[in-house]
Amino acid sequence: MNGLIDPEILDIVVTGLSWFAISAGSFFVLVGTIGLIRMPDVFTRMHAASLVDTLGAGLLIAGMMLQAGFTATSLKLLFIFLLLFITSPVATHAVAQATLEAGDLPELKVDRRDRARTAGDAVETPEA
Amino acid sequence: MELYVNLLLLTLMAATVIAIIQQSSLFSVVILSGIYSFLMASVLIVLDAVDVAMTEASVGAGISTVVLLGALHLTRTTALKSHQRVFLGLFVSVAVGTMLMWGVLGLPEFGVADAPVHTHVAPTYLLESIPETGIPNVVTTVLADYRGFDTFGETTVVFTAGIGVLLLLGGRRRRGRGAGAKDAPK
Amino acid sequence: MKLDLILRVTTKVIIPFILLFALYVHFHGDFGPGGGFQAGVIAAGMLILYAIIFGVEAAQRVVPRAVVHVMVPLGVLIYAMTGLAAFYFGENFLNYAPLAHDPKHGHHLGVILVESGVITTVAGTMVSIFYAFLERGR
Repeated sequence: MNGLIDPEILDIVVTGLSWFAISAGSFFVLVGTIGLIRMPDVFTRMHAASLVDTLGAGLLIAGMMLQAGFTATSLKLLFIFLLLFITSPVATHAVAQATLEAGDLPELKVDRRDRARTAGDAVETPEA
Repeated sequence: MELYVNLLLLTLMAATVIAIIQQSSLFSVVILSGIYSFLMASVLIVLDAVDVAMTEASVGAGISTVVLLGALHLTRTTALKSHQRVFLGLFVSVAVGTMLMWGVLGLPEFGVADAPVHTHVAPTYLLESIPETGIPNVVTTVLADYRGFDTFGETTVVFTAGIGVLLLLGGRRRRGRGAGAKDAPK
Repeated sequence: MKLDLILRVTTKVIIPFILLFALYVHFHGDFGPGGGFQAGVIAAGMLILYAIIFGVEAAQRVVPRAVVHVMVPLGVLIYAMTGLAAFYFGENFLNYAPLAHDPKHGHHLGVILVESGVITTVAGTMVSIFYAFLERGR
Protein backbone atom coordinates (compact mmCIF):
# COMPACT_ATOMS: atom_id res chain seq x y z
CA MET A 1 0.00 0.00 0.00
CA ASN A 2 2.88 2.31 0.69
CA GLY A 3 4.10 2.18 -2.87
CA LEU A 4 0.72 3.15 -4.32
CA ILE A 5 0.22 6.52 -2.58
CA ASP A 6 2.76 9.16 -3.38
CA PRO A 7 3.76 10.63 0.01
CA GLU A 8 3.96 14.18 -1.35
CA ILE A 9 0.46 14.07 -2.74
CA LEU A 10 -0.79 12.61 0.52
CA ASP A 11 0.92 15.46 2.33
CA ILE A 12 -0.71 18.04 0.08
CA VAL A 13 -4.13 16.44 0.45
CA VAL A 14 -3.88 16.28 4.25
CA THR A 15 -2.65 19.87 4.49
CA GLY A 16 -5.44 21.05 2.15
CA LEU A 17 -8.06 19.19 4.17
CA SER A 18 -6.77 20.67 7.39
CA TRP A 19 -6.87 24.19 5.91
CA PHE A 20 -10.44 23.59 4.79
CA ALA A 21 -11.42 22.23 8.20
CA ILE A 22 -9.82 25.12 10.09
CA SER A 23 -11.43 27.74 7.85
CA ALA A 24 -14.82 26.05 8.05
CA GLY A 25 -14.47 25.89 11.83
CA SER A 26 -13.57 29.56 12.00
CA PHE A 27 -16.53 30.39 9.77
CA PHE A 28 -18.91 28.56 12.08
CA VAL A 29 -17.39 30.26 15.13
CA LEU A 30 -17.95 33.62 13.43
CA VAL A 31 -21.53 32.75 12.50
CA GLY A 32 -22.24 31.57 16.02
CA THR A 33 -20.83 34.75 17.52
CA ILE A 34 -22.78 37.00 15.17
CA GLY A 35 -25.90 35.03 16.06
CA LEU A 36 -25.11 35.45 19.75
CA ILE A 37 -25.07 39.22 19.36
CA ARG A 38 -27.93 39.64 16.93
CA MET A 39 -30.51 37.22 18.24
CA PRO A 40 -33.41 38.76 20.16
CA ASP A 41 -33.94 36.35 23.01
CA VAL A 42 -31.95 34.32 25.54
CA PHE A 43 -33.01 30.99 24.12
CA THR A 44 -32.25 31.80 20.51
CA ARG A 45 -28.89 33.22 21.58
CA MET A 46 -28.05 29.99 23.35
CA HIS A 47 -29.05 28.09 20.27
CA ALA A 48 -26.62 30.18 18.22
CA ALA A 49 -23.86 29.91 20.79
CA SER A 50 -24.09 26.14 20.93
CA LEU A 51 -22.93 26.14 17.33
CA VAL A 52 -19.55 27.48 18.43
CA ASP A 53 -18.71 24.73 20.84
CA THR A 54 -19.82 21.74 18.83
CA LEU A 55 -19.45 22.39 15.12
CA GLY A 56 -16.89 25.19 15.33
CA ALA A 57 -14.65 23.51 17.87
CA GLY A 58 -15.10 20.13 16.19
CA LEU A 59 -13.94 21.33 12.79
CA LEU A 60 -11.08 23.35 14.26
CA ILE A 61 -9.89 20.37 16.26
CA ALA A 62 -10.26 18.07 13.25
CA GLY A 63 -8.08 20.44 11.24
CA MET A 64 -5.50 20.54 14.01
CA MET A 65 -5.56 16.75 14.28
CA LEU A 66 -4.86 16.47 10.57
CA GLN A 67 -1.93 18.82 11.00
CA ALA A 68 -0.57 16.95 14.00
CA GLY A 69 -0.66 13.59 12.28
CA PHE A 70 -0.75 10.27 14.06
CA THR A 71 0.87 11.21 17.37
CA ALA A 72 -0.09 11.57 21.01
CA THR A 73 -1.03 15.20 20.34
CA SER A 74 -3.94 14.03 18.18
CA LEU A 75 -5.19 11.85 21.00
CA LYS A 76 -5.08 14.79 23.42
CA LEU A 77 -6.92 16.94 20.90
CA LEU A 78 -9.56 14.23 20.55
CA PHE A 79 -10.05 14.17 24.31
CA ILE A 80 -10.40 17.95 24.39
CA PHE A 81 -13.04 17.73 21.67
CA LEU A 82 -14.93 15.01 23.56
CA LEU A 83 -14.88 17.13 26.70
CA LEU A 84 -16.24 20.17 24.84
CA PHE A 85 -18.79 18.05 23.02
CA ILE A 86 -20.15 16.52 26.21
CA THR A 87 -20.07 19.49 28.57
CA SER A 88 -21.15 22.41 26.44
CA PRO A 89 -24.62 21.13 25.47
CA VAL A 90 -25.15 20.20 29.11
CA ALA A 91 -24.14 23.72 30.10
CA THR A 92 -26.58 25.15 27.55
CA HIS A 93 -29.27 22.90 29.01
CA ALA A 94 -28.45 24.10 32.52
CA VAL A 95 -28.64 27.75 31.47
CA ALA A 96 -31.98 27.13 29.74
CA GLN A 97 -33.36 25.39 32.84
CA ALA A 98 -32.19 28.23 35.06
CA THR A 99 -33.75 30.81 32.75
CA LEU A 100 -37.06 28.98 32.72
CA GLU A 101 -36.93 28.64 36.48
CA ALA A 102 -36.32 32.38 36.82
CA GLY A 103 -39.57 32.91 34.95
CA ASP A 104 -38.25 34.14 31.63
CA LEU A 105 -40.33 32.44 28.98
CA PRO A 106 -39.22 32.44 25.34
CA GLU A 107 -40.85 35.06 23.17
CA LEU A 108 -42.50 33.38 20.26
CA LYS A 109 -44.12 35.09 17.31
CA VAL A 110 -46.98 32.65 16.96
CA ASP A 111 -47.36 29.80 19.30
CA ARG A 112 -49.86 27.20 20.21
CA ARG A 113 -51.43 29.44 22.83
CA ASP A 114 -52.41 32.09 20.25
CA ARG A 115 -53.72 29.52 17.83
CA ALA A 116 -55.67 27.82 20.59
CA ARG A 117 -57.05 31.19 21.71
CA THR A 118 -58.25 32.11 18.24
CA ALA A 119 -59.74 28.66 17.81
CA GLY A 120 -61.57 29.04 21.12
CA ASP A 121 -59.90 26.16 22.99
CA ALA A 122 -58.57 26.33 26.51
CA VAL A 123 -55.15 27.94 26.81
CA GLU A 124 -52.52 25.58 28.20
CA THR A 125 -49.97 27.08 30.51
CA PRO A 126 -46.46 25.83 29.89
CA GLU A 127 -44.85 23.92 32.71
CA ALA A 128 -41.86 25.67 34.08
CA MET B 1 2.75 37.89 13.48
CA GLU B 2 3.07 37.63 17.24
CA LEU B 3 2.78 41.37 17.44
CA TYR B 4 -0.62 41.39 15.75
CA VAL B 5 -1.94 38.57 17.89
CA ASN B 6 -0.71 40.36 21.00
CA LEU B 7 -2.26 43.64 19.86
CA LEU B 8 -5.59 41.95 19.19
CA LEU B 9 -5.64 40.20 22.56
CA LEU B 10 -4.63 43.35 24.43
CA THR B 11 -7.33 45.35 22.63
CA LEU B 12 -9.89 42.75 23.65
CA MET B 13 -8.63 42.99 27.23
CA ALA B 14 -8.99 46.76 27.19
CA ALA B 15 -12.52 46.41 25.80
CA THR B 16 -13.37 43.93 28.55
CA VAL B 17 -12.06 46.29 31.22
CA ILE B 18 -14.12 49.17 29.82
CA ALA B 19 -17.17 46.89 29.85
CA ILE B 20 -16.45 45.94 33.48
CA ILE B 21 -16.32 49.59 34.50
CA GLN B 22 -19.57 50.41 32.73
CA GLN B 23 -21.57 47.52 34.15
CA SER B 24 -23.76 47.90 37.15
CA SER B 25 -24.83 44.27 37.30
CA LEU B 26 -22.22 42.50 39.39
CA PHE B 27 -23.02 39.15 37.85
CA SER B 28 -21.91 40.44 34.46
CA VAL B 29 -18.80 41.88 36.09
CA VAL B 30 -17.87 38.47 37.46
CA ILE B 31 -18.31 36.78 34.09
CA LEU B 32 -16.36 39.55 32.37
CA SER B 33 -13.46 39.13 34.78
CA GLY B 34 -13.44 35.45 33.89
CA ILE B 35 -13.18 36.50 30.24
CA TYR B 36 -10.36 38.86 31.18
CA SER B 37 -8.48 36.01 32.82
CA PHE B 38 -8.90 33.86 29.71
CA LEU B 39 -7.51 36.62 27.51
CA MET B 40 -4.60 37.08 29.91
CA ALA B 41 -3.92 33.35 29.70
CA SER B 42 -3.90 33.60 25.90
CA VAL B 43 -1.42 36.49 26.04
CA LEU B 44 0.79 34.40 28.31
CA ILE B 45 0.67 31.51 25.85
CA VAL B 46 1.72 33.81 23.03
CA LEU B 47 4.64 34.88 25.24
CA ASP B 48 5.62 31.18 25.65
CA ALA B 49 4.89 30.98 29.37
CA VAL B 50 2.60 27.95 29.40
CA ASP B 51 2.88 27.10 33.11
CA VAL B 52 1.81 30.59 34.11
CA ALA B 53 -0.95 30.52 31.46
CA MET B 54 -2.35 27.29 32.88
CA THR B 55 -2.31 28.70 36.41
CA GLU B 56 -3.93 31.95 35.26
CA ALA B 57 -6.65 30.11 33.34
CA SER B 58 -7.48 27.67 36.11
CA VAL B 59 -7.33 30.14 39.00
CA GLY B 60 -8.58 33.31 37.35
CA ALA B 61 -11.24 31.87 35.11
CA GLY B 62 -12.17 28.84 37.16
CA ILE B 63 -11.97 29.16 40.90
CA SER B 64 -12.11 32.94 41.05
CA THR B 65 -15.39 33.08 39.13
CA VAL B 66 -16.98 30.46 41.38
CA VAL B 67 -15.82 32.12 44.61
CA LEU B 68 -16.94 35.56 43.41
CA LEU B 69 -20.35 34.13 42.50
CA GLY B 70 -20.52 32.64 45.97
CA ALA B 71 -19.74 36.06 47.42
CA LEU B 72 -22.48 37.57 45.25
CA HIS B 73 -24.85 35.00 46.66
CA LEU B 74 -24.10 36.34 50.13
CA THR B 75 -24.39 40.02 49.24
CA ARG B 76 -26.18 42.03 46.61
CA THR B 77 -26.01 41.57 42.87
CA THR B 78 -26.14 45.14 41.65
CA ALA B 79 -23.47 47.71 42.28
CA LEU B 80 -24.26 50.67 44.47
CA LYS B 81 -23.80 54.07 42.93
CA SER B 82 -20.73 55.72 44.37
CA HIS B 83 -21.07 59.26 45.63
CA GLN B 84 -17.41 60.19 45.39
CA ARG B 85 -15.93 62.73 43.06
CA VAL B 86 -14.34 61.09 40.11
CA PHE B 87 -11.64 63.65 39.32
CA LEU B 88 -9.21 62.86 42.12
CA GLY B 89 -9.23 59.16 41.30
CA LEU B 90 -8.89 59.90 37.61
CA PHE B 91 -5.92 62.21 38.18
CA VAL B 92 -4.13 59.69 40.40
CA SER B 93 -4.72 56.85 37.94
CA VAL B 94 -3.50 58.86 34.95
CA ALA B 95 -0.43 60.07 36.86
CA VAL B 96 0.55 56.61 38.08
CA GLY B 97 -0.12 55.10 34.66
CA THR B 98 2.04 57.69 32.95
CA MET B 99 4.90 57.13 35.39
CA LEU B 100 4.66 53.37 34.86
CA MET B 101 4.71 53.71 31.10
CA TRP B 102 7.68 56.07 31.30
CA GLY B 103 9.43 53.53 33.51
CA VAL B 104 8.66 50.68 31.11
CA LEU B 105 10.28 52.65 28.30
CA GLY B 106 13.53 52.47 30.24
CA LEU B 107 13.56 48.69 30.42
CA PRO B 108 15.63 46.66 27.94
CA GLU B 109 13.78 45.10 25.03
CA PHE B 110 11.84 41.92 25.53
CA GLY B 111 13.96 38.83 25.01
CA VAL B 112 17.33 40.50 24.42
CA ALA B 113 20.06 38.09 25.44
CA ASP B 114 22.26 40.46 27.44
CA ALA B 115 19.57 42.07 29.55
CA PRO B 116 20.41 41.87 33.26
CA VAL B 117 17.52 39.48 33.96
CA HIS B 118 18.97 36.97 31.53
CA THR B 119 22.60 37.14 32.65
CA HIS B 120 22.42 36.96 36.43
CA VAL B 121 21.36 33.49 37.55
CA ALA B 122 19.12 32.43 34.65
CA PRO B 123 21.96 30.90 32.57
CA THR B 124 23.04 28.86 35.61
CA TYR B 125 19.51 27.55 36.05
CA LEU B 126 19.10 26.73 32.40
CA LEU B 127 22.47 25.02 32.06
CA GLU B 128 22.56 23.22 35.40
CA SER B 129 18.96 22.09 35.57
CA ILE B 130 19.16 18.83 33.65
CA PRO B 131 22.61 17.69 34.81
CA GLU B 132 21.83 18.39 38.45
CA THR B 133 18.20 17.34 38.73
CA GLY B 134 17.32 15.39 35.63
CA ILE B 135 13.90 17.05 35.38
CA PRO B 136 13.11 18.27 31.86
CA ASN B 137 10.80 21.14 32.86
CA VAL B 138 13.03 24.04 33.93
CA VAL B 139 10.07 25.98 35.29
CA THR B 140 9.35 23.25 37.81
CA THR B 141 12.96 23.00 38.89
CA VAL B 142 13.26 26.76 39.31
CA LEU B 143 9.95 26.86 41.18
CA ALA B 144 10.43 23.88 43.45
CA ASP B 145 14.18 23.43 43.65
CA TYR B 146 16.28 26.51 42.99
CA ARG B 147 13.67 28.91 44.35
CA GLY B 148 12.02 26.49 46.73
CA PHE B 149 12.03 28.99 49.54
CA ASP B 150 9.89 31.41 47.53
CA THR B 151 7.40 28.64 46.77
CA PHE B 152 7.35 27.90 50.49
CA GLY B 153 6.35 31.53 51.02
CA GLU B 154 3.65 31.21 48.33
CA THR B 155 2.21 28.12 49.95
CA THR B 156 2.18 29.92 53.29
CA VAL B 157 0.35 32.83 51.65
CA VAL B 158 -2.34 30.47 50.32
CA PHE B 159 -2.56 28.91 53.76
CA THR B 160 -2.92 32.32 55.41
CA ALA B 161 -5.62 33.34 52.94
CA GLY B 162 -7.56 30.15 53.67
CA ILE B 163 -7.23 30.61 57.43
CA GLY B 164 -8.30 34.24 57.11
CA VAL B 165 -11.43 33.39 55.14
CA LEU B 166 -12.29 30.58 57.54
CA LEU B 167 -11.92 32.90 60.51
CA LEU B 168 -14.14 35.51 58.90
CA LEU B 169 -16.82 33.27 57.51
CA GLY B 170 -16.81 29.86 59.03
CA GLY B 171 -16.80 30.68 62.69
CA ARG B 172 -20.51 30.55 63.32
CA ARG B 173 -21.65 27.02 63.85
CA ARG B 174 -25.16 26.51 62.60
CA ARG B 175 -27.11 26.20 65.79
CA GLY B 176 -30.35 26.53 63.90
CA ARG B 177 -30.84 27.56 60.35
CA GLY B 178 -30.96 31.28 59.95
CA ALA B 179 -30.45 32.21 63.59
CA GLY B 180 -26.74 32.87 63.60
CA ALA B 181 -26.02 32.63 59.92
CA LYS B 182 -28.07 35.52 58.65
CA ASP B 183 -26.28 38.29 60.55
CA ALA B 184 -24.56 40.71 58.24
CA PRO B 185 -20.78 40.49 58.44
CA LYS B 186 -19.12 43.62 59.75
CA MET C 1 -33.09 21.30 45.02
CA LYS C 2 -33.29 18.14 42.99
CA LEU C 3 -31.58 19.00 39.78
CA ASP C 4 -32.20 17.64 36.36
CA LEU C 5 -31.30 14.13 35.30
CA ILE C 6 -29.01 15.27 32.50
CA LEU C 7 -26.91 17.44 34.79
CA ARG C 8 -26.56 14.74 37.41
CA VAL C 9 -25.61 12.01 34.97
CA THR C 10 -23.12 14.17 33.09
CA THR C 11 -21.52 15.31 36.33
CA LYS C 12 -21.15 11.72 37.46
CA VAL C 13 -19.58 10.82 34.13
CA ILE C 14 -17.16 13.71 34.04
CA ILE C 15 -15.95 13.94 37.66
CA PRO C 16 -13.52 10.99 37.50
CA PHE C 17 -11.91 12.49 34.43
CA ILE C 18 -11.44 15.83 36.15
CA LEU C 19 -9.72 14.10 39.05
CA LEU C 20 -7.59 12.10 36.65
CA PHE C 21 -6.62 15.25 34.83
CA ALA C 22 -5.69 16.96 38.08
CA LEU C 23 -3.41 14.07 39.01
CA TYR C 24 -1.97 14.04 35.49
CA VAL C 25 -1.15 17.74 35.65
CA HIS C 26 0.42 17.22 39.07
CA PHE C 27 2.62 14.26 38.25
CA HIS C 28 3.55 15.44 34.78
CA GLY C 29 4.63 18.80 36.09
CA ASP C 30 8.16 17.53 35.58
CA PHE C 31 7.74 16.94 31.89
CA GLY C 32 5.25 19.51 30.75
CA PRO C 33 3.37 22.50 32.06
CA GLY C 34 1.77 21.83 35.37
CA GLY C 35 2.70 21.44 38.96
CA GLY C 36 1.07 21.71 42.32
CA PHE C 37 -0.90 24.96 42.01
CA GLN C 38 -2.78 24.10 38.85
CA ALA C 39 -3.49 20.57 40.00
CA GLY C 40 -4.81 21.73 43.35
CA VAL C 41 -7.15 24.21 41.70
CA ILE C 42 -8.46 21.59 39.24
CA ALA C 43 -9.07 19.07 42.03
CA ALA C 44 -10.88 21.72 44.06
CA GLY C 45 -12.95 22.56 40.98
CA MET C 46 -14.04 18.94 40.77
CA LEU C 47 -15.29 18.96 44.33
CA ILE C 48 -17.00 22.31 43.86
CA LEU C 49 -18.82 20.95 40.80
CA TYR C 50 -20.01 18.00 42.88
CA ALA C 51 -21.18 20.36 45.63
CA ILE C 52 -23.05 22.56 43.16
CA ILE C 53 -24.90 19.73 41.45
CA PHE C 54 -25.58 17.35 44.34
CA GLY C 55 -25.69 19.72 47.31
CA VAL C 56 -23.31 20.60 50.10
CA GLU C 57 -24.40 17.71 52.35
CA ALA C 58 -23.51 15.14 49.70
CA ALA C 59 -20.16 16.81 49.08
CA GLN C 60 -19.46 16.90 52.80
CA ARG C 61 -20.20 13.19 53.03
CA VAL C 62 -17.47 12.62 50.47
CA VAL C 63 -14.93 15.10 51.83
CA PRO C 64 -15.91 16.25 55.33
CA ARG C 65 -15.15 19.70 56.64
CA ALA C 66 -12.72 18.31 59.18
CA VAL C 67 -10.64 16.66 56.46
CA VAL C 68 -10.50 19.82 54.42
CA HIS C 69 -9.65 21.95 57.44
CA VAL C 70 -6.77 19.58 58.19
CA MET C 71 -5.53 19.64 54.60
CA VAL C 72 -4.90 23.37 54.67
CA PRO C 73 -1.98 23.38 57.12
CA LEU C 74 -0.91 19.83 56.27
CA GLY C 75 0.58 20.91 52.97
CA VAL C 76 2.68 23.62 54.57
CA LEU C 77 3.79 21.07 57.15
CA ILE C 78 4.89 18.62 54.44
CA TYR C 79 6.83 21.39 52.74
CA ALA C 80 8.54 22.47 55.96
CA MET C 81 9.37 18.90 56.92
CA THR C 82 11.00 18.33 53.54
CA GLY C 83 13.10 21.39 54.19
CA LEU C 84 13.95 20.34 57.73
CA ALA C 85 14.88 16.83 56.62
CA ALA C 86 18.02 18.31 55.18
CA PHE C 87 19.05 19.45 58.66
CA TYR C 88 19.18 15.79 59.66
CA PHE C 89 21.90 15.24 57.07
CA GLY C 90 23.83 18.37 57.95
CA GLU C 91 22.88 20.45 54.91
CA ASN C 92 21.04 23.75 54.47
CA PHE C 93 17.29 24.19 54.68
CA LEU C 94 15.47 22.88 51.57
CA ASN C 95 18.60 21.28 50.14
CA TYR C 96 17.24 18.19 48.42
CA ALA C 97 20.56 16.56 47.57
CA PRO C 98 20.99 14.32 50.63
CA LEU C 99 17.41 12.96 50.57
CA ALA C 100 18.26 9.87 48.52
CA HIS C 101 21.28 7.75 47.66
CA ASP C 102 22.23 10.02 44.76
CA PRO C 103 21.93 13.85 44.50
CA LYS C 104 19.94 13.62 41.26
CA HIS C 105 17.39 11.25 42.80
CA GLY C 106 17.43 13.39 45.90
CA HIS C 107 16.43 16.45 43.89
CA HIS C 108 13.69 14.49 42.16
CA LEU C 109 12.32 13.16 45.44
CA GLY C 110 12.45 16.59 46.99
CA VAL C 111 10.50 18.15 44.13
CA ILE C 112 7.83 15.43 44.34
CA LEU C 113 7.41 15.87 48.09
CA VAL C 114 7.26 19.62 47.87
CA GLU C 115 4.69 19.59 45.06
CA SER C 116 2.50 17.19 47.03
CA GLY C 117 2.53 19.67 49.88
CA VAL C 118 1.53 22.45 47.51
CA ILE C 119 -1.37 20.51 45.99
CA THR C 120 -2.71 19.60 49.42
CA THR C 121 -2.72 23.16 50.69
CA VAL C 122 -4.15 24.68 47.52
CA ALA C 123 -6.97 22.12 47.12
CA GLY C 124 -7.81 22.30 50.81
CA THR C 125 -7.92 26.09 50.82
CA MET C 126 -10.16 26.37 47.76
CA VAL C 127 -12.62 23.76 48.98
CA SER C 128 -12.77 25.14 52.52
CA ILE C 129 -13.36 28.67 51.22
CA PHE C 130 -16.22 27.31 49.10
CA TYR C 131 -17.70 25.39 52.02
CA ALA C 132 -17.48 28.50 54.21
CA PHE C 133 -19.31 30.57 51.60
CA LEU C 134 -22.04 27.99 51.14
CA GLU C 135 -22.63 27.47 54.83
CA ARG C 136 -22.80 31.15 55.47
CA GLY C 137 -25.54 31.70 53.00
CA ARG C 138 -28.15 29.41 54.42
